[in-house]
Amino acid sequence: MARFGDLFWKALVLTVVVFLLGVFLGFALERNRIGNIEREFQRIDLQWNDAKLQTLYYQNLEPRFCGFAIRENLGFADLVYNEGLKIEKYERVSFLTNDLELEKKKYALLKVEFWLNSIVLKEKCKAKYINLVYFFANDPAFEVKSEQDTQAEILKDLKEKYGKDLMLIPLPIDMDISMINVMKGTYDISKTPTILINEKIKLDGLQGFDELELLIKNEQL
Amino acid sequence: MEFITGVYLFFIFVSLYSVFLILLIYLRNRGNLYFEKEINGFYDISVVIPAYNKEDSILETVNAVKNLDYPKDKIEIIVIDDGSKDKTAEIVRKIEGIRFFEKGYNSGKSDSVNFGVKNARGEIIAVIDADSYPEKDSFKKMIGYFDDLETGAVTASCFVKNTGKAIEKLQAIEYFLIAFGRKILDFVDSVYVTPGSLSMYRKKLLVEVGGFDTNNITEDIEIAWKILKNKYKNRMCLSARVHTDVPDTMRKWWRQRLRWNIGGFQTVHKYRDSFFRKNLKMFGLFVVPRFFISHVLSITGFFVFVYVFGRGIFQKVTYWIFSMQNGNTILEVPSLFLIPSVFTFFIFLLFIFTIVFTYIGLKTMNKINLGFRANFIILFYLVFYLTLYPLVLLHSLYLLATGNIKW
Repeated sequence: MARFGDLFWKALVLTVVVFLLGVFLGFALERNRIGNIEREFQRIDLQWNDAKLQTLYYQNLEPRFCGFAIRENLGFADLVYNEGLKIEKYERVSFLTNDLELEKKKYALLKVEFWLNSIVLKEKCKAKYINLVYFFANDPAFEVKSEQDTQAEILKDLKEKYGKDLMLIPLPIDMDISMINVMKGTYDISKTPTILINEKIKLDGLQGFDELELLIKNEQL
Repeated sequence: MEFITGVYLFFIFVSLYSVFLILLIYLRNRGNLYFEKEINGFYDISVVIPAYNKEDSILETVNAVKNLDYPKDKIEIIVIDDGSKDKTAEIVRKIEGIRFFEKGYNSGKSDSVNFGVKNARGEIIAVIDADSYPEKDSFKKMIGYFDDLETGAVTASCFVKNTGKAIEKLQAIEYFLIAFGRKILDFVDSVYVTPGSLSMYRKKLLVEVGGFDTNNITEDIEIAWKILKNKYKNRMCLSARVHTDVPDTMRKWWRQRLRWNIGGFQTVHKYRDSFFRKNLKMFGLFVVPRFFISHVLSITGFFVFVYVFGRGIFQKVTYWIFSMQNGNTILEVPSLFLIPSVFTFFIFLLFIFTIVFTYIGLKTMNKINLGFRANFIILFYLVFYLTLYPLVLLHSLYLLATGNIKW
């Protein structure tokens, strides 16, 4: 062993160096992605505050301009939706850090805020769009995951078909966010997937495209 | 970090270590791969050929031995018929200039070789399978190693003779790489197998250690370990070559690999007390732990793969069922999901190393210019053939667990 023991040590040193390099690279990649999300989030947050103020202004001082507020809100809905898709993609390749969890919580809060704003707009400005809140588990049980995946695809198709007439707001119920917990209590949400349409129709379990479309059409009348 | 991520990273660490170790050994010794010991004298060699139902090949094997470039008065050829049911005995009886023993019953290869050793007159025993054919100069290239009194056994590069079918071609690549890998291990005194196709042993040592283990189904691994444990060395002579017939059907291949694996398990179990024993030098510190760890990693790796892959399949299928039940489309264009992660780097690195090892190995064996068709086979070997190993391992485990290991 002594004759070539150095080879074993050298191999170990080399392995440790390359391994740490790889892990460091992995960390750097994940940190970079989180940095991107944070920057994006700051931009969205700014835009969101702007939209909220506009809503406040129009609904309180200039009800004639409700249309502007609705348009801002709808535009913002698309932004939030796309950001959600990006976080979802990044999450699939985040193995080393948990920092994305914090971003997801911030993002979930933003969606709650957006939902509340949509409710206010609907009431004050008589907006015609449908609020569809999709409650899902961020870390679902094995058997629930397929149901959630199917439901998400169905909702994506619905959103594509109804566009700006449908406010799709996905909310995770298992991230220990107090505000969402309050919502869960209010609407008695205990399992996933669950769908809430216009804050009055609650649907537990997986819902098909046709059933949902029928309910949406009825709500639009 | 999830538990499964930790498992993946551990696998990667061990794989990287193996890769770097092989690479460093290769870099330090690449000029000595074909080193041949000078011949200071010809030892008396007894060639022991155990044969069981080898009517198709035995004559060619004996003729190959007879044609060896080695002083004729220094070689005796002993053929032992292990109770063959075909015409093996009839064929061998007609061959002149050999010693032929008919046991009249089948008791396995180890017992036949032990029988041959007992009756051998030479100080060196060369064991050759009855379907293997040594090249003319192989003995001359190997014999010099025995000048070193610490050498207990010497083995040669084993090449595939029949390369017509795809399965044989794949094994041909595998055998080139096995020979190369064994030579690499030779530089760190860790040759862990002396294959039956052609290996030479010091007779005195064989007698001393009680010969081949008749209860082990891979006697060539077991004897190599026994030699190492007795503080002798197994040496590998890369330039000495023997050609052998390999399984020509998937079924035979699978059966052969089951035997190798089960024999490997038997050997690890038998020598478990040598695990990390410092006084056994490389045997205790490297050969046994390496064998053990590679088996454990293969098995756990397989289960991790089954879990992850099975989970993915289950979720996809239930997703399709739910989608069909709910009028959702199930056909979708898969998205190109190319966001790099920590694993992208490591998997890419390990894949590159595997390709580099394969090509260095084939280049060393002078088999690099095999043409486009061969490159395709090499790719197939890397991507599909190697993935069969864990499946065979699992089947072996099942057979071991159920005690169904008749051979």
